[in-house]
Amino acid sequence: MISERVVSQVLLAALHTGGDFSEVFAEDTYGSTIKMVNGSVEDGVSGRDFGVGIRIMQKNRCVYAYTNDASPANLLKVAREAAAALADQQLIDAVVLNKTDVANIHLIRTYPQDVAKQRKVEIMRRAHNAASNYDSLISQITLGYFDQDQKVLIANSDGLFVEDRRVRTRLMISAIASKDGEKQSGFYGPGRHMGFELFSELDIEEYAKEAARIAVTMVNAEHAPSRKMPVVIHNGFGGVIFHEACGHSLEATSVAKGTSVFTDKIGQKIASDVVTAVDDGTIPNAWGSQNIDDEGNPCRRNLLIDKGVLTGYLIDKLNGRRMNAEATGSSRRQSYRQAPTSRMTNTFICDGQSSFDDIIRQTEYGLFAKYMGGGSVNPATGEFNFAVTEGYLIENGQITQPVRGATLIGRGADVLQKIDLVSNNLSRGQGMCGSISGSIPTDVGQPTVRVSQLTVGGRKGE
Amino acid sequence: MEISVFKEELFRQGLLAGFTEMEIFVTSARDFSVRVFKKEIDNYSLSEVWGLGFRGKYQGRMGYAYTEIPDQQSVTLLIKDAKQNAIIIDSTDDIDIFAGSNTYPKIEAFNPDFSNISVADKIEFALNLEQEAYSLDPRVTTVNYALFADGEGEVHIANTKGLDRSYQRNGGASYVSVVVKDEDEVRTAGRFVVGNKWECFNVAELAKEAVEEAVSMLGAQTIDSKEYPVILRHDVAGGILQTFSSVFSAESVQKGFSLLKDKIGETIAAQTITLIDDPLLPDGAGSAPFDSEGVATKTKEVIKDGVLITYLHNLKTAKKDGIPSTGNASKGSFRSPVRIAPTNFFIQPGDLSYDELMADLDEGLIIISVQGLHSGANPVSGDFSLGAYGYYVKNGKIDHPVDQITIAGNFFQLLKDVTRIGSDLKFGMGGSTASPSILIKGLAVSGK
Repeated sequence: MISERVVSQVLLAALHTGGDFSEVFAEDTYGSTIKMVNGSVEDGVSGRDFGVGIRIMQKNRCVYAYTNDASPANLLKVAREAAAALADQQLIDAVVLNKTDVANIHLIRTYPQDVAKQRKVEIMRRAHNAASNYDSLISQITLGYFDQDQKVLIANSDGLFVEDRRVRTRLMISAIASKDGEKQSGFYGPGRHMGFELFSELDIEEYAKEAARIAVTMVNAEHAPSRKMPVVIHNGFGGVIFHEACGHSLEATSVAKGTSVFTDKIGQKIASDVVTAVDDGTIPNAWGSQNIDDEGNPCRRNLLIDKGVLTGYLIDKLNGRRMNAEATGSSRRQSYRQAPTSRMTNTFICDGQSSFDDIIRQTEYGLFAKYMGGGSVNPATGEFNFAVTEGYLIENGQITQPVRGATLIGRGADVLQKIDLVSNNLSRGQGMCGSISGSIPTDVGQPTVRVSQLTVGGRKGE
Repeated sequence: MEISVFKEELFRQGLLAGFTEMEIFVTSARDFSVRVFKKEIDNYSLSEVWGLGFRGKYQGRMGYAYTEIPDQQSVTLLIKDAKQNAIIIDSTDDIDIFAGSNTYPKIEAFNPDFSNISVADKIEFALNLEQEAYSLDPRVTTVNYALFADGEGEVHIANTKGLDRSYQRNGGASYVSVVVKDEDEVRTAGRFVVGNKWECFNVAELAKEAVEEAVSMLGAQTIDSKEYPVILRHDVAGGILQTFSSVFSAESVQKGFSLLKDKIGETIAAQTITLIDDPLLPDGAGSAPFDSEGVATKTKEVIKDGVLITYLHNLKTAKKDGIPSTGNASKGSFRSPVRIAPTNFFIQPGDLSYDELMADLDEGLIIISVQGLHSGANPVSGDFSLGAYGYYVKNGKIDHPVDQITIAGNFFQLLKDVTRIGSDLKFGMGGSTASPSILIKGLAVSGK
């Protein structure tokens, strides 16, 4: 992408005003998307993103500049302009790069560019037909095909020079069921850090039927009640609760500034005994995995909570300086347009001892949140909200009628203490996580868990 | 290579490859931002980027591709990918590339004075903003964001039908977010301002509003679940309008994703509501003389006195309905295909101040923040259920702060249930969609 010689010159130019660390992140990404609505391909878009980000640190200060003119003359100019934000004596007068190979733990068999777009469309048609044939109430189906091949070069003034290639493929399936003028939607969006072989490994028809089933179930559902009650949150994408309510507050981005509820809580009990949680960027071919993070460090499995005790944060280099702590391989960014910061990869609660059936049986009255939509959280207060996309009432230890339109709200720190049962059926779901360094692919996950009490907001009163 | 040379080369090779019509949509931007934390520059960012979207008609279908480098390799990629992307399209009802409108409106989106503000002044602004926020109340423990950002950019569209137009815009934004703490209780609040005049950026006002709001939430508790009359503060009402704005898109309507199908000429909202799309607003974040297809923009009422007047159209949806485009073709970025979006989209303000709205409320709530608009709102059904906080109002006065509640309802019902409209229209975080504060007859509130 850029030669070692030019990179080392740029890194050095960035340090001429007293920076103690400089970094180059160069990216050449091919991406393509195809949108199919009601069985017709509406549009396909593909192309090339290319650019270079230059980051300079001086103690806790950070300067970031980016451009998509990667000519040596322009890169040197940008590096000098960025450095002008600092005004000290030059500390470092030589950069020696040490190029190292990154071990690839995510085998890619078929790269996106090598697959004719018609074959991608065939996958979409199969999904469309499966969802459309599921039930006569299905009125609209939207499919979004996504693949991306991102080549990166990361180098810094400590001598690091590495390259990596990240390939991701995903199909997003959205089905809408209509009845008596009402519409409800169901969604499933399987994705992996892999190429087109994803579709020989997944039964895409099953995912499409599942999206259709959710929509049909919900269009036939009553409004959810609104009050505090026990909530059983199902496995897989249900892990978004942990991602939002806890994961974001463990990111150094908020911990370092003291604005997270979990600041200075290492070694303390922050969750009930049944909660153990990790962030693991090393799972082969998982959606949120990479070989290296966006600062060039190997991704890791980081234990966050061990039997209720806080054991670790997710830390990037800059916030690591503020916290006097080592980076954890957790630096991520959407593209060269963002400076990296601490983010999640694949984050989940680990398996517990209960069985799914036991949890339901032990719940006299409550909500079973089978599928969750997205949510958000305020890291300072831990207040979160989630949409329940497929919900049921639990009555007398049994799952009874479906309910729709429920939202769960609460505080992360409270919920962690109120998880009283954790089952043994861990699975993960895929999402895009948005934060200050952009939108990045992450897996959320958990086994089925019960929260002893949570506020459920729905349109039906008591 | 030079962009004019690149364009000629692309169109020449495209013609050889079998494209009958072609267009480029080019955006370029220079941006700056500075964020301070505890009197130091915490983040300082500079950027200069360029991107080109190409589209062309191949065998009657429109193919898209994009690049960020104007080199020979990109010419080849754009043509190959646009061709492949055209072939897979099923619909052949794509419209022609547009030759241009007869006249174009003038807009004031670029203020040269604003581009001359020195970096030192911008840094000082951010530092003062942080300082001011700390000084206002001893309970302010952290100012977690104090930032100033600005930028300028150009949009350029050129095609083989002879259209070749561009416009420039600039603007800035500032955001402050504070954390206040009283014993164990933590509250946050933020304030955002946008504009392209230096006078829009007022340290004292931004800091005061953020700190006052955070402090005002101390001691908040949940309330009994029931239906309450609710004032949605202007920013909350604007956020909800933005979330549901796709229901006014003719594309959504024609594809069956909007419940406003067949509702033109019908009453869909309270008589007090007039909803306007105004691309000509001075300093509007959505102001533009032409849309993403090169069609001249114009101001229109989408809802007038509660009656739905028009959907928002691009050339394709307008042709289907047999009417002219409303000039609302939109590309999310140079990479995106042409879709539909509002420009500056807002509910026309009434004449009641925020305090006067409140004075009308015997018992009710003021909602000053909602969470989960991207997840807890469904534009297809109109249903929403959102985390929220604000104030409990008794006899026309704020009684106490309220949090840990959800508000749930339906957007289409909400439009009908608006009883009063405030005068405090303000464009802010929502960018180009905004509303004054509005009083709603009733919303389901879930607390304890």
